[in-house]
Formats: sequence, C-alpha cells, structure tokens
Amino acid sequence: MPSGGITFHGVCKTFSGRGKTIEALRDMSLSCPSGSFTAIIGPSGCGKSTAMRIALGLEDADKGAVLIEDREPQDATRAGLTGVAFQDAALLPWRSVRQNVEVPLEVLRKNIRDFAPDVQHLIELVGLKGYENALPGELSGGMRQRVAIARALVTRPRVLFMDEPFGALDQILRRQMNLELQRIWQESQATAFLVTHGIDEAVFLADRIAVMSANPGRLSVVIDVPFERPRKPELFSDPAFHALCDKVAEVLHGGQ
Amino acid sequence: MAGNKQWAAPLRNVVVLLLVWEVVGRLDLIADGALPGVSEILIGLWNDRSDYPLHVWETLKASGLGFVIGNLLGVVAGIFFVLIPVSLRVFRGLNIAIFALPPIAIAPILSLTLSGLTPRVVLAALGCYFVTMTATVIGLSQSDSRAADLIRVYGGSNWLIMRMVQFRSALPSILSGFRVAAPNAVLGAILAEFGGGGRWGLGAYLLGSLGRAEPERLWGIGVVATLIAGLAYGVFALMSHRFVGASRAVTMNMSVPEKAGDGSNRPLSSILAGAMAVLLPFLFWWAFIRLLDVPAMISKTPIGVVEYLFFSPAAQSAQERLIAALWETLPITGIGLLCGLSFAFLLAISSRLFPAFLRAFMPVALVTQTMPLVALTPLLVLLLGRGTSLTLWVTISVTFFPAFVILAQGISMVPRATRELAMAYGASAGQELRIITIPASMPYLFAATRLTVPRALLGVMIAEWLATGKGLGNLLNQSRGYMDYGMIWTVAALSVILAVVFYQLVVVVERRVLLRMGMSTAE
Repeated sequence: MPSGGITFHGVCKTFSGRGKTIEALRDMSLSCPSGSFTAIIGPSGCGKSTAMRIALGLEDADKGAVLIEDREPQDATRAGLTGVAFQDAALLPWRSVRQNVEVPLEVLRKNIRDFAPDVQHLIELVGLKGYENALPGELSGGMRQRVAIARALVTRPRVLFMDEPFGALDQILRRQMNLELQRIWQESQATAFLVTHGIDEAVFLADRIAVMSANPGRLSVVIDVPFERPRKPELFSDPAFHALCDKVAEVLHGGQ
Repeated sequence: MAGNKQWAAPLRNVVVLLLVWEVVGRLDLIADGALPGVSEILIGLWNDRSDYPLHVWETLKASGLGFVIGNLLGVVAGIFFVLIPVSLRVFRGLNIAIFALPPIAIAPILSLTLSGLTPRVVLAALGCYFVTMTATVIGLSQSDSRAADLIRVYGGSNWLIMRMVQFRSALPSILSGFRVAAPNAVLGAILAEFGGGGRWGLGAYLLGSLGRAEPERLWGIGVVATLIAGLAYGVFALMSHRFVGASRAVTMNMSVPEKAGDGSNRPLSSILAGAMAVLLPFLFWWAFIRLLDVPAMISKTPIGVVEYLFFSPAAQSAQERLIAALWETLPITGIGLLCGLSFAFLLAISSRLFPAFLRAFMPVALVTQTMPLVALTPLLVLLLGRGTSLTLWVTISVTFFPAFVILAQGISMVPRATRELAMAYGASAGQELRIITIPASMPYLFAATRLTVPRALLGVMIAEWLATGKGLGNLLNQSRGYMDYGMIWTVAALSVILAVVFYQLVVVVERRVLLRMGMSTAE
C-alpha cells in the first residue's frame, strides 16, 4: 500500500571485520508518514547512522527493505527525492558557499542556471546573504552547518535526512539552529528524519522520537511528542517539555 | 618578521658551509685538491661555458619528456587503481619492479633495443612513474569520505566522485609526487646516457671527463645536474604548497575509513591476484621484446635468459662470473645499507634531543634529495679513490639522506601531547626516547628501509660501473664491451629480481612487526 514518507520493513544489517561480527541492526521496522518529523535517538553503536545510510542507499540491508516515497532508496536518491545533511558539514573546501549548495544539482545533472533564484533564496533562508562567494574556511562552524542545510534543501527534496547535523556546535548555537531548522522544514513540507544524540533537540523538533538501543542495534520504543507547532523557544523551559525529556532519558537508560 | 627569522638560520649555515668549503678547497686540504673551492668550480663552469648548453639541452630534453610521460602515466594509473581496487593488487608486482629496478641495470638494455632519445626518455619516465602513481593513489584515497558520500547520496557514480571530490583534493599530493619525481627524471636520463654512448648530454659529458684529472669540471657537472633537478623540485614544492590551503578539509573527518572492497577476503581471487602480480612483470618483458621486433640475438626473453644461464655452451662460465659478481656486490650492499640506515636512525632520534641541530641539518639533507646520485659518485671517486671504501661510502650516502629525511619528518609527527604526557610525569629525555620516540618511529624506520633498499643496490652498481671495476655493475659494463647480450639481460633481470625480493622481505617483516605493535605502515 503506497503511503509515501519513509518505511523500514524488518531491516537487518551485520558488519564483519577482524573475526568479529557486529549486529548493527536487528529487525528494525518503522514508518514515518509523509510530512512528519521523526527523530532517532540512541547510544553510540545502536545502528541509527546505519539505518540512515541504508535509507540513503549507501549500504545494502542484509534482510528487509526500506522504501522512500514508495521507491527503492537508490531510485529515490537518483530521482532527487532525498536531501541529506551529514554529521559534519562536509563542504568541499575549494568551492564557494554558492558552489557548495549547487553540488547536488550538479550530480543530478540539472541545469544550474535554472536554479539560480532557488539557490539564492535558500542561501538567504539560512541567513547567509552576502557570503555567497565565501570559502568554507572563512566561515564559522554554525555558518558551515547552515550551508549544509541549504545544500540539503536545494533539490526541493520530499524526504530530508539529517545525521547529527548540529553535533559539532555549542549548545547556544544549537538551539538557534533548531529554531531555524523547524522554520525551514515547515516551509519545505518534506518528511524529516533526524539522527541525534541530543534529547532536548529531539523533543523540540520531532513529532515522534524513535529510541534505539545497542548490542544488537534495535528499535526499542517510539514516543509521540504532542506539542503544537510552530514551537517557540519558550518551550525549552516548559515543565511539560522537561517531563518528556526525562521520559526519553529513562527509556534510553532502561534500554541498555 | 617571523618569516625573516625562519630563513636567517639556514641561510647563515649555508654561508658558513660555503666559506669553509672555499677555504678547504683553495688550500687543497682534501685528497690533493679533489675538493676544489667554490670559486674554482665557478671559474671552471665559466671556462666550459661553451660545452654546457648542448649537454644540458640534451639532458633537459630527455628528462623533460620522460618527466611528462612518466607523470602522466603515474596519474592515470593511480586514478585507475583507485577506481578499480583489485587492479592495484594485480599490478603490484609490476609497480614494485618499476620502483625497485636499478636504472643503471636496464640502461644498457634500453640502449640495445631502442634508438635515439628513446632510451633516455624511457628511463626518466620509469623514475617518475612510481613516485607519482603512489602519490596519486594516496592522495585520492585520503580524500574526504563524507564528501564522497554526499555525491553518492544524490546518485553520483564513482567517476563523478573522482571528478568532483577526489582529484581536486589529491592535487597537493600529486604535485608533491612531481616534486620528488623531478630529480629521478634527471637521474634516469643521465644514467641512460652512460649506457647509450651518445655524444651529448650531461651523462656523456661526465663519463668523458671522468678519466681526466679535472675535479673542477666534475664538480661543475654535478652542480649543474643538481640545479636542474633542484629547480624542478622547487617549482612543484611551491605549487603544492599553494594548493594545500584550499584543499584541506575544514573540519576533522571522524568517520571510520571503509575497508577497501578489493576481494581480499576471498582466498581464490586473492591467490589469482597474487599470481597475476608475479607474472605480469615477465609478461611485460616478453611483450616489450615482441613488440619491438629486435633480433633475437640481441634481445632475450625470460626464456632466453634461462636458456643462456643454464643450457647454452657458455652457461658454466656465465654462472661462475655471475656468482663471483654477486659475492662482491651483495655483502657491500648489505653493509652500506645497514650503516646508512643506522646513521640516519641514530641522528634522527638524537636530533629530538638537540632540535637546533635538526633545524641546521635538515636543509642540507633536503638539498641532497634533489641531487641526482650519479653526480655524487665521480666526486667521491676524487675524494676516496677507486677501492672498496668508495663503494661503501657511495652506498651510505645514497641511503643515509633519504632515510634521515623520512625518519626526521616521521618523528616530528609524534603528537606533542604524547610527549608532554611523559614529561608531565617527570620522564628524562632518555626515558622519553625509549618509551615514546623510538617506538613511534618504527613505521618510519621500515618505510625508510623499503625506500632505500633499491637505492643501495643502485649506488653499489653505479660505483662498480664507474670506478671500482668489480661486482655486478662492472660485469654489466664489461658485457656491454664484449657484446655478451645474454649476460647483459641476465644481470639486468637478476638485479631487478634481487631488488624486488629485498623489498618484499622488508615488507613482510614490516607487516609482522607493526601488526604486533598495533601500528599501521607509513607511506
């Protein structure tokens, strides 16, 4: 049954190396409806990044399947349905901000000139107007991460994957970026899939939080987040917010 | 101002060195004037000014052409090996053979089978190929894996990743490959001139001047050869430096490197690749002769060499001469290598205790990297005569400097925090050496050994050919005179095989030891 969004069907993945085998993912099933925001949280080695890499077609699942907008991951990426922001900005250091944002268009063989207004709009959306021709080395960590977000959105993706996109930022900048991400995501109406270590980040941004545990990596529970949108910065100090954070933390620690 | 200060000390050292040289040379203090003063060398250069342009042009033409061809092949092969990892295993034997072959051993062969400028170009190109190929492979495979993932996520092919990410980020590495290749190209061209018997070229000039008692001219030729190589070295060092700035990843890549999927865990394909690696060099040898269509009397295929050495009427005598030559060459190669490496190791380690010394000595050691080592031998002949001690010193000097540079640079990469940890617990300098610096320098010691094994053999053979009249180098030179083609091919093949076997031995020991120490090999 076609449903759009992202669906994991009993995905298994083991890695072997140096005589050891590591069960990175065991029988993971999860569906993220179209237009929803799902956060994946868990300790190191729980397979959350592996799940994302499989969904992006960077790895193959041993068993089970992932569907992106009802397509195989590699079909979906080739059709330009997905956008991605990695743990680290991963910008090409010899390309300017604008050229870095254009990378996905180049890979998908789009005519870059047709997208010039889009690219400009995105650069402004992430607050980098005036830095179009700067090199990554000249930007701060937060600015680089915003370039990566703009780059993830440039193909107007139906599904947006993010692997700890703000992992390298300090707490203050991170909250700021969370607010901006919410705004940008709402505007784009894409299905969002965020891999994170930060409990408060997950609770603030997501509609649903999928908590995972390690050894073997597996999905332990899915927690719904009821707060209304758009969520304001005041939410960070709301008691209900903290209660939910505590609940997630409890599941996280119980899950080990 | 900081830049000024950085230059002041080495500059002062160079000036002092030149002054001492001038005084010692003018007073004929060393070996009855074998070391002329700097001004005497310059005057000699001026007097011979009408000879140089043609010689230099000839060498420049051959080495320049070889440089372009060898580097082009190196880069293309490097890209190919990275795109198709299994090919690196298949070509391993050929690559090592090209790296380890003593150019002087195959110079006569090339002169026999090819004509005109070609042997010089080929030998120059061979000297560049391996260095640049390795630099390309390393540069390409060290590029940012996250950026590659990004391209792949949007459906980009390996070729697109190569084009958009890997090649650009490998540029500094490739350029530094060119830098190291430059002296090799000059060396290759000059060595081919030795074996070729042409009229022009610095090698021919050097050979012609060797018999005369004119130290100034020999030194002059050495200086000119070094200048050519040094200039090319400098240009590419500068370019490489320029490019590094914009290609280093802005942030640290923390993701674990993927294991190369070259099928190394499947035993069958692994054996197959290994067999191919051994066979391929012989296949190339055979194809080389087939394609050139040279008379069978002059060119020997692998089978021809076996026939000559074991089944021909001359087999008995050939074997005896070969064994006598090996008995002469191998021990001195081993001793020279051991001495060169030990000196380099001791000096590099102790330079940790005396950093000022390292700062003063490093520029000198780096200059010798640009010196084509043939230019060195005649000078040592002047200084030391033609005895066995000459061979030993040539070998030591061709192994010492590169080994020292690798070791010193390796040791300087030991993280500061590691050393400071030992210091924080009050470790003495000796303890620090024993606990940290020496173990940490092991990968570099092996890398230096790998690199210098072929150089030691080359050094010995050059000294034997030019001066001492003993051993493999001499056998090669003599066989050229007697037109004993079977022996020429046999010596060439044998010296390549020896160099490869030594190299491979070092690699095996290196893997064992470093695996036990939990370290990875240094490139």
